[in-house]
Amino acid sequence: MKKILCLSLASAFFVGCATTKKEAPAAPADGKAAVGGKAAVASADDLDTYSTVAQVPDPLQPVNRVTFWINHQVYRYVLKPVAMGYKFIIPEKGREAIGNAFENVKYPVRLANNLLQADLPGAGKQTGAFLVNSTVGIGGLGRPAQHIPALADLPPADTAQTFAKWGIPNGFYFVLPLIGPTTLRDGVGLAGDWALNPITWCGYVWGQPVWYIAVPAANTMRSLPGQLDTYEAATKDTIDRYLAARTAYIQYRNEVNSR
Amino acid sequence: MITPRFFLFLAALVTLTVPAMAQSVAEQKVRSTNDELIAIAEKVPNNEVLMQKVRPVLEKNMSFAAMTRRAIGPGWRTFTPDQQKKAISLFTDLIIRRYAGRYTIGERPEVTYKAATTPAPGRAEVPTLVLYKGSKYEVIYRLEQSEDWRITDVVVEGVSFVGNYRSQFDAQFQKGGATAVLAALTNAVNNP
Repeated sequence: MKKILCLSLASAFFVGCATTKKEAPAAPADGKAAVGGKAAVASADDLDTYSTVAQVPDPLQPVNRVTFWINHQVYRYVLKPVAMGYKFIIPEKGREAIGNAFENVKYPVRLANNLLQADLPGAGKQTGAFLVNSTVGIGGLGRPAQHIPALADLPPADTAQTFAKWGIPNGFYFVLPLIGPTTLRDGVGLAGDWALNPITWCGYVWGQPVWYIAVPAANTMRSLPGQLDTYEAATKDTIDRYLAARTAYIQYRNEVNSR
Repeated sequence: MITPRFFLFLAALVTLTVPAMAQSVAEQKVRSTNDELIAIAEKVPNNEVLMQKVRPVLEKNMSFAAMTRRAIGPGWRTFTPDQQKKAISLFTDLIIRRYAGRYTIGERPEVTYKAATTPAPGRAEVPTLVLYKGSKYEVIYRLEQSEDWRITDVVVEGVSFVGNYRSQFDAQFQKGGATAVLAALTNAVNNP
């Protein structure tokens, strides 16, 4: 028993050290570690298994809660009806194909970040999947690369993840109008993704305002149902929507950063 | 004749086979639970009925008591036995509603099971890949052994259910202890 206690104290200590550099894991991987000194004592008992739950500084919480509340109303009364309209007009297969095409076009985001993370095999696989989906998949409408084991289910690669892998910490949490939860680091990452995404600049290449408004608008539209679904899954039947969303965001991002 | 060497061999055998057994028992538990739930979901007309029908299956295969304790954390010790009972009952209602409410009737999930692990004695994790409504999700089931193996947490794409509730309960507990936690739970259950 004493040995187990020592072990769990030691592992708690190591996790504590690791978290000052990297982020706390979404949940204890070994089921017994805890963060920091105070929690380490309690980690001996099973009530504190989840003391490592994703934490993030939230100095702007009062402002964030207001933005979160406004977002919630906009999602509920504006965006949800819009998403339902979209789902009503375009059948599931069509929505899937449109979603695939937009995701396929985002290839430069994935390639650039694989390279920035020095993941050459990843960059090669992304390129392979992009080529297969763009040709055999007719402009990315289909995802035939999913049937090639080496190219199927490639891990996500985005700019925020690159920053995390470089060791840049979250900074602090904040809620963006309309877009929702992010952190200082991830917000800059989002801007990076935006700049790398051809959808952002294709309109300028074609030189018609209708394109640089219409294409990003269509992209927003097609991603709306999925995003609202995720939002509902994360916040419905919770005690405090704001905290549920914040924790889920950090838990999810920690997972993405670990892949 | 039992030589020390034979004893060592026995000990090795036990340490090697016990986790392996735990893994297969845990995986079997998750499999049978999911199969049972999916079979029910195919026969119900709406989410209301689904919620009633899945309750006994979830109560048999999950440990809502352990989930509630963990979600509340060390503050659990300050709860009176009556408050503990009330918290478990309310949290059970909330989780079942959350589970049944997220399910889209007519959409069958496809679950692929991966090799289970035993991160600690009496604990197991069953990683799965769930294909649901065209999207793939990595879902890990955490199990613990009390009298039998029970599911004590579900982790979807890194988001642990119990861990997520813990952050919410912590805030309530700091505000006003057990009373605040119970008031918030009652409010959540009464206002879907």
